Amino acid sequence: MSALAFAWRGLVRQPARAGLGILGVAAVGALLFDMLLLSEGLVLSMRDLLERVGFDVRVRATMALPGSGPGIADAGRLTAAIAALPEVGEAVALGLGYAEIDRAGGRRPLAVDFVGADTSRRRVWTVTAGRDIADGHDARGGELLVNQNVASRLGATLGDVIQLRASCMHQTSALPQATFTLVGIAEFPFDTVRQMTAATTFADFGIACGAPGSADADMILVASAEGGDAETTRDAIARLRPDLNPMTNEQMVGLVQQSGLSYFRQISAVLMTVTMSFGMLLITVLLTVSVNQRLAEIAALRALGFSQRRVVLDVLCESALLVGLGGLLALPLGAALAVWLDGILKRMPGLPVKLHFFVFEPQALAIHVSLLVATAVIAALYPMWLVARLPIATTLRNEVIS
Amino acid sequence: MTVVEAHDVSRVFPMPAGPVVAVRDVTLGIEAGEHVAISGPSGCGKSTLLHLLGCVDAPSQGSLVFEGRDVSTLTDRQRSVIRLTRIGFVFQRFFLLPMLTAAENVELPQAEAGSPKAERQRRTRELLEYVGLGARADHRPSQLSGGEMQRVAIARALANRPRLLLADEPTGELDHATGEQIATLLDRVNADGTALVIVTHDQTLASRAHRTLTMRDGRICDS
Repeated sequence: MSALAFAWRGLVRQPARAGLGILGVAAVGALLFDMLLLSEGLVLSMRDLLERVGFDVRVRATMALPGSGPGIADAGRLTAAIAALPEVGEAVALGLGYAEIDRAGGRRPLAVDFVGADTSRRRVWTVTAGRDIADGHDARGGELLVNQNVASRLGATLGDVIQLRASCMHQTSALPQATFTLVGIAEFPFDTVRQMTAATTFADFGIACGAPGSADADMILVASAEGGDAETTRDAIARLRPDLNPMTNEQMVGLVQQSGLSYFRQISAVLMTVTMSFGMLLITVLLTVSVNQRLAEIAALRALGFSQRRVVLDVLCESALLVGLGGLLALPLGAALAVWLDGILKRMPGLPVKLHFFVFEPQALAIHVSLLVATAVIAALYPMWLVARLPIATTLRNEVIS
Repeated sequence: MTVVEAHDVSRVFPMPAGPVVAVRDVTLGIEAGEHVAISGPSGCGKSTLLHLLGCVDAPSQGSLVFEGRDVSTLTDRQRSVIRLTRIGFVFQRFFLLPMLTAAENVELPQAEAGSPKAERQRRTRELLEYVGLGARADHRPSQLSGGEMQRVAIARALANRPRLLLADEPTGELDHATGEQIATLLDRVNADGTALVIVTHDQTLASRAHRTLTMRDGRICDS
């Protein structure tokens, strides 16, 4: 009978204790798994959001986060110059501002985030109803996309004419109303739950902002040429305009991390250490109790010729089975817990809907398995030592005396 | 041919109140096929001597030679191999593994010795028939009587065809009639060629041996 089969029979012998041990490891393992998902979740989710749009370099005037800091002047010409670089596949100017949309019936205007971006092969948004905006401004004005929140609050349908008053890039003077036709409903990757967003072409954004043909851009989104890499593209842009601040997605993620996300990593590291310690203690206690109850039996096995290595291996296998079965149960339990906790954490204000705190990645699973293996081994060290050092004759004699 | 020899063997246990000499200057040889009983009052060192002869414990002084090999020069692993393949143990409290059936308990030492599965199963059937428990092979220890458990323990001790069978109070937990049956079974084991050393308080059981050693204060005082 192999050590593993022997350990299995030992566990089955006391199903209540084994069951409690496995459930305990499952609970601890689920927490451990969740902490692993949390430690990198925001970073992975942020990276996914940045990469989902298809641009790998973002050019800003300074290192300030998007939506703050100075804009890029003469953005149209600069975007064309960047697009002409051999390292660049595509460049899109993106304007960010605010707007108030007039509402009928004397109701207060609806405040929205106003986005201007040239339509391109890569979209900043995903159209879910209607069609995408097209270039060209006629007498009826430009075309507008809104997110579902705006459409619902306005009660607007496709084809409606919408009047808005924009406020762009720190302009403080009052601007005239601009007229748009609603052509589609879109999802914007960085929208929060209650966010109101409207988008038009960069040209129409300029018109609405009172700077036709010369609007400032908040950033220029750049996609590297086919086969190129983000670092090379960034360096090429830096050479073209040393005064600007091109950043790869990786650098953006780093910037966002520095601005606060590292707390989650620290919290999860502390909680992981605590949960692992609890897991180890739980298994150590269970195994030690089990070994202490079977000392005479183990001594008899040793007297019958079972080697020290074999009885130690039996204990290790028992630990591996407890942790292995508990660890397997921990995965679905941890996944369910992660979904629930993610829902709670995402209620924090100002977070994009598509941003997640708990993100699964194969590496997290590999680390989870490695940590559980380490737990099984470390937790079994003391009971293995007890068994290895067991004085056979004394134990047998004590058993008879007792 | 001598299976195991003890030369001036002593075993001292360090205790908080001072060292306790459990076995003192014992010289003894067990010949192949011999039947030896060790008797004496409680605490006289019988079980300690049995453990020394079975390579379970190491002498504090003197030398112990098993089949020509000085046990003190062997590693723990080598002593385990000797116990597994050359010595059988029968305990007063049986020490069968409760989660295994009678057959699995008998198979266990054979598996540890690396015996092939088919051979193990054949040998296990043969041994359970030998001890009269062929029909109880699939029963767990909790489903067996004390006498039946001791029979399984004897079958387990014989699993790897040992040259020496050591039995520590094998009838100590059994009633007189059952003890008699176990004694008869052990006689048969000995008659079939296995040297047998029994530690016992039971003078009737001791009287069945070829040679009886009486111990007092760690010494063999009569043989």
